[in-house]
Amino acid sequence: MNGEELTEQETALYDRQIRVWGADAQRRLSKSHILVYGMKGTVAEFCKNIVLAGVGSVTLVDDREVTEEALSANFLILPDENLYHGKTLAEVCCDSLKEFNPMVHVSVEKGDISTFGVEFFGKFDAVVISCCSLAKKKLINQKCRKLSKRVAFYTVDCRGSCGEIFVDLKDYKYSKKKLEETVECQLEFPSFEDTISVPWKALPKRVSKLYFAMRVIEQFEDAEGRNPGETSIADLPGVLKLRKELCETNSVNESQIPDALLERLLMDTSEYPPVCAIIGGILGQEVIKAISGKGDPLKNFFFFDAIDGKGLIEDISEPKPVS
Amino acid sequence: MKELNDGKPRKIKSVRPYSFTLEEDTTNFGTYVKGGIVTQVKQPRVLNFKPLRAALKDPGDFLLSDFSKFDRPPLLHIAFQALDRFICEIGRFPVARSEEDAQKFISIAGNINECLGEGGVEDINPKLLTHFAFGARAVLNPMAAMFGGIVGQEVVKACSGKFHPLFQISVFGSKLQKNLEDAKVFIVGSGALGCEFLKNVALMGVSCGSQGKLTITDDDVIEKSNLSRQFLFRDWNIGQAKSTVAASAAVSINPQLKIEALQNRVGPETEFVFNDDFWENLTVVINALDNVDARLYVDQRCLYFQKPLLESGTLGAKCNTQMVIPHLTENYGASRDPPEKQAPMCTVHSFPHNIDHCLTWARSEFEGLLEKTPAEVNAYLSNPSEYATAMRNAADAQAKDNLERILQCLEQEKCETFQDCVTWARLRFEDYFVNRVKQLTFTFPEDATTSTGAPFWSAPKRFPRPLQFSTTDPSHLQFIMAASILRAETFGIPVPDWVKNTKMLAKAVEKVIVPDFQPKEGVKIETIETDERATSLSTGSVDDAAVINELLFKLERCRNNLPSGFRMKPIQFEKDDDTNYHMDLIAGLANMRARNYSIPEVDKLKAKFIAGRIIPAIATSTAMATGLVCLELYKVLDGAHKVEDYRNTFANLALPLFSMAEPVPPKVMKHRDMSWTVWDRWILRGNPTVRELIQWLKDKGLNAYSISYGSCLLFNNVFPRHKERLDKKVVDVAREIAKEDLPPYRSHLDVVVACEDDEDNDINIPQISIYYR
Repeated sequence: MNGEELTEQETALYDRQIRVWGADAQRRLSKSHILVYGMKGTVAEFCKNIVLAGVGSVTLVDDREVTEEALSANFLILPDENLYHGKTLAEVCCDSLKEFNPMVHVSVEKGDISTFGVEFFGKFDAVVISCCSLAKKKLINQKCRKLSKRVAFYTVDCRGSCGEIFVDLKDYKYSKKKLEETVECQLEFPSFEDTISVPWKALPKRVSKLYFAMRVIEQFEDAEGRNPGETSIADLPGVLKLRKELCETNSVNESQIPDALLERLLMDTSEYPPVCAIIGGILGQEVIKAISGKGDPLKNFFFFDAIDGKGLIEDISEPKPVS
Repeated sequence: MKELNDGKPRKIKSVRPYSFTLEEDTTNFGTYVKGGIVTQVKQPRVLNFKPLRAALKDPGDFLLSDFSKFDRPPLLHIAFQALDRFICEIGRFPVARSEEDAQKFISIAGNINECLGEGGVEDINPKLLTHFAFGARAVLNPMAAMFGGIVGQEVVKACSGKFHPLFQISVFGSKLQKNLEDAKVFIVGSGALGCEFLKNVALMGVSCGSQGKLTITDDDVIEKSNLSRQFLFRDWNIGQAKSTVAASAAVSINPQLKIEALQNRVGPETEFVFNDDFWENLTVVINALDNVDARLYVDQRCLYFQKPLLESGTLGAKCNTQMVIPHLTENYGASRDPPEKQAPMCTVHSFPHNIDHCLTWARSEFEGLLEKTPAEVNAYLSNPSEYATAMRNAADAQAKDNLERILQCLEQEKCETFQDCVTWARLRFEDYFVNRVKQLTFTFPEDATTSTGAPFWSAPKRFPRPLQFSTTDPSHLQFIMAASILRAETFGIPVPDWVKNTKMLAKAVEKVIVPDFQPKEGVKIETIETDERATSLSTGSVDDAAVINELLFKLERCRNNLPSGFRMKPIQFEKDDDTNYHMDLIAGLANMRARNYSIPEVDKLKAKFIAGRIIPAIATSTAMATGLVCLELYKVLDGAHKVEDYRNTFANLALPLFSMAEPVPPKVMKHRDMSWTVWDRWILRGNPTVRELIQWLKDKGLNAYSISYGSCLLFNNVFPRHKERLDKKVVDVAREIAKEDLPPYRSHLDVVVACEDDEDNDINIPQISIYYR
């Protein structure tokens, strides 16, 4: 294949995983650049996984300060005030991640991610954002899609026992192993905005209730101008009201979004370490797939709920006329 | 049918174990004579993705399956609706511990249930609802419900400055959090799974309380290829003990963690470390192992001590988890994968037909040449007279064989200079890839037939052809290089730099005089699967004794010519060092052999994969497996869960596929009105005699015919001598036969009794604990 050979050091370090995805995928990985925004527990797990896998670089954006809550699910922040005092979340996580794999360049970008221009996102092969408002998700997704090169876009959010991943790979060509031979495949992904504006009525009945519940809370936070996660159980009446409106607009039954589920999502805004490990593992593998161009990707939503232990893949796309 | 020899792929149909039909007209083909090897290839297929509209109509894409019928209890739905209505009507949550609010809440729930009619529940369980109302404000959460505790306590306030997984207290209640903190956990293994587990339990606050204790053990040290997923290790930790490094990294994640790191492999030989006390004190065991044998051992211990065992494993992008909960689920060993297939020895020795056979042979030759023989030489040299006595006493074929190898190594093939090593390597090449093949094809010519008249060289046997050594063939030279360097290492001869220069090496090889080979008549070659032991351990004969004496005499002469204190250096195969030439030699041996038999060769990486039995591994699936296990850990530590609450998972991140199922309950054995599972033990008190034990079983309709304690047979009714044991105490017989002192703190021993019912059917009964004080 094209590209330089892996160095001896890389071959030695990555030996066990090269046996999973091959030297060619490892070469692509080591030349890839990843942008990460929102350093929560799930994202910390994700970063650990891709740094160990040996991507080329990881750029972290998160100017928030270290809080007690950040400590409890994010193992990248050691509970020693001397280590994190006066540093942003991104800076502290960067220090830890660097140690995991000296061959990966980990750095911090300061500033408000929504003001970063399109060309900034063009420096990356994959963009992963978390703790973002609806507006921010749409905006960053749009900027990624404006670029001629494909920038894989992911959002990830965990609320208590539940987790959600959204994937946008635009036009995505990849290969996958089918028994002995490799087949070429192609998939077309809708943008985040297009995805969530698919009328609910048009979706199959079996679509995870979590999908709708997460959209209601997302819209509620957007309408109230809140930061993600700032909504709590005290907002239940408002959220229920919005659910009613949305269900009416979409002409679906309110039972599609059970009260109990919304309550649960509002009740625990913090993360559970095991759920972080699970979602971070899946997201890590998805990004590795997208970069190496190997294997079926998730299309385009993934939901995990620790209550029943279910992991669900949902393809939420606008039905297009058959040509 | 020479037309088939063009190597082009052909479509086939009606595939059976020994035949298939060609999907083409062969009427014009020539006559089939004999032989021929067919290789299966798969033709690429174009896959058509469904258009979206069709896909939406038929959403067959949900890759998940949950095999259990698990549904959140309908009562909980009602409770939540009631809570919703309560908040609407009263404008607030029920006050914790307020009876009045609870009553109101229950009556709302009752109304909702009535309105549901058919869909309602039979019993609205006021007690549960009271708890629900009491705790609604603080810890009301289905998560908590699932974890068994609708916990009616107030949220424990944070003690500031101290690191705590605070969220969990508010989510699960302080009771579960206390259980987590005081848990005595044993993590077996500190590799990839172990590192992830340590991180998770540290964050969860497991074993962080004053009563808590986490023990982790691993006898391995850190090496380079670990670092790509065992993320608690750094470059500078290479060579250090895995468990110690991981434990201190975990403490830095959570300084409250009470952890002890040990470097013992868990197994029968370390039961003095992991003794009864140790096991009895545990709350839960988490396996983080990489092999089935160790898993089976831990499973047996957990079964014996009735401890929950959380099991998981990964293979590439796949991962699986299995919960083993005393009395609720089957144990790990209850359902096993079929054992790995091993090629018969004669296939490996003389009739390989794929590269795996060649690599297996290469591994075994490597061991014989570089590890076993030098070790045997050293055994002889370090105490010649004792060694000689042992060999004379044994006086069997193996003794003779050992002595021959030592003599060969110290006499004919003794190396003093590096050139000697090159000569040795060149002659080995000739022996392995030329002479042996000539001998084999001399004994079994290409047209040889078996006793039934069928052609001897028919599939899967491949007819071998000798190689012609050439210094212009790079793989020949590479073989010579690796072999001579490793040979030099065993003799302690320094390796000159010129060996890496192919021209210089070629020159050195050309100096070697290679004697002509004449195949011999009457050489025996194993052709069918025979019991290896039967042939190799043939009884000694007078001839052997004489030969052994002569060999020892020659050896003695050799020894006097050696420098004093001379020892060889045995080399242990190490797959992971790319500079040690081990894999080069193995790949060389295997590929040259593959050439003999026209088997496709493999590159060094693939060779290492097969010969090193390397398990491909990535960080993501490991992280996911441990996350899934830790969710189950909450349930285990919360206690009192039903089997339906637990989940076993299988996931493949490459597909991606996530599926889960309830664990399988243990198999229930029944006899008369009794029933038991693998988790049960029967207890017999009062220090019984063997006869009393047998009578006790007889009363249950079980005829005991054999009693054993560990690996010692205490009683079997086929041995007349055992009759005299009938009136002895079981414990005394055990002391006598097992020659084992029972520890003073122990008041019972466990025996296994084989029984039949009155119809002579074997009945698998539980272990019996015999109390003798």
